[in-house]
Amino acid sequence: MSAGMEEQAMTGEHAMDGDLEQRARALLLGSAENLPGAVRSRLTQARHAALAARHARVRYRLQRWLPAGAVAAAALALVVVFVPHGRHAPASVVNPLISNVAGVDEIELLSSGMPLNADQDVDDDFYEWAVAAANGAGAVHTTATNASGT
Amino acid sequence: MRDTEDGAHALEVFLASVERKAFRIAQIALRHEADALDVVQDAMLQLSARYSSRPAPEWKPLFYRILENRIRDVQRRRSVRNRVMAMVPWRSGEDDDTPADPIAEAADSGPSPGRQLESDEILRALEQALAALPNRQRQAFLLRNFEGLDVAQTAQAMKCSEGSVKTHYFRAVQALRIKLGDLRA
Repeated sequence: MSAGMEEQAMTGEHAMDGDLEQRARALLLGSAENLPGAVRSRLTQARHAALAARHARVRYRLQRWLPAGAVAAAALALVVVFVPHGRHAPASVVNPLISNVAGVDEIELLSSGMPLNADQDVDDDFYEWAVAAANGAGAVHTTATNASGT
Repeated sequence: MRDTEDGAHALEVFLASVERKAFRIAQIALRHEADALDVVQDAMLQLSARYSSRPAPEWKPLFYRILENRIRDVQRRRSVRNRVMAMVPWRSGEDDDTPADPIAEAADSGPSPGRQLESDEILRALEQALAALPNRQRQAFLLRNFEGLDVAQTAQAMKCSEGSVKTHYFRAVQALRIKLGDLRA
């Protein structure tokens, strides 16, 4: 082969534009289309055998991995159900260091003499009104009693 | 499960689309119908058992690579058997079941209707010329020209570079042209 021809072969897809290539392709395609019935039948059987082998392999894989998958799923479910986690954790699993710190805070609060609800919003006006109302009612009640007694 | 059924259907369609060409490729390479059928069946089985989970566009180059490997295995076995038989004096070339005459063993393309009778002779000449090509040239020509694989797919099927495919193909065409002209009746 000359260097130029080699180069031509290497440059592109080398489209099948030659008579020989087109004719060869047509002949070969024709021969593939006109295979004898016995050969076609054998090819069909071969195809079905290949598909059956695939099906058997898929089933084998399922049978092999399904029990393992089921056991893994069951184990995971057991873990989710029975192992405590998050804010539902009982006191026993709370970090004892954190627990001790909370205890110290509570002792300081109790010993400070402050009301326990000191940190809450208190409606002072309501309490003053309630005390005044109670005193006023008491005064009226006392006056009425004295008047009826005399 | 649905995916499995779809995959099986896609594989069946693919195998149906390639089986006849694959058989002809094997038959031209091996010159033996039963061997060609066995080789195609092996290739189908291996593809479906090992590679059917691969993406469908990869199937064709894979299938033809498997097919070529099987063809080469049969050719090697034959070569060994022929060498052994050649050493046995009382069987030398007498009832060797390797076909000696490629024309006698040419593809039986069944009942040839009218017009095909004319081209039978040309087809046989083409098959002979293809069978006489070096393996790699024949593979490149049949995969590119007959099966219609592009250069990249052919390279994948032949496990070589695209440049090699182009070279093999070009040399095959040159050799066929020398032997057959333009293949006109």
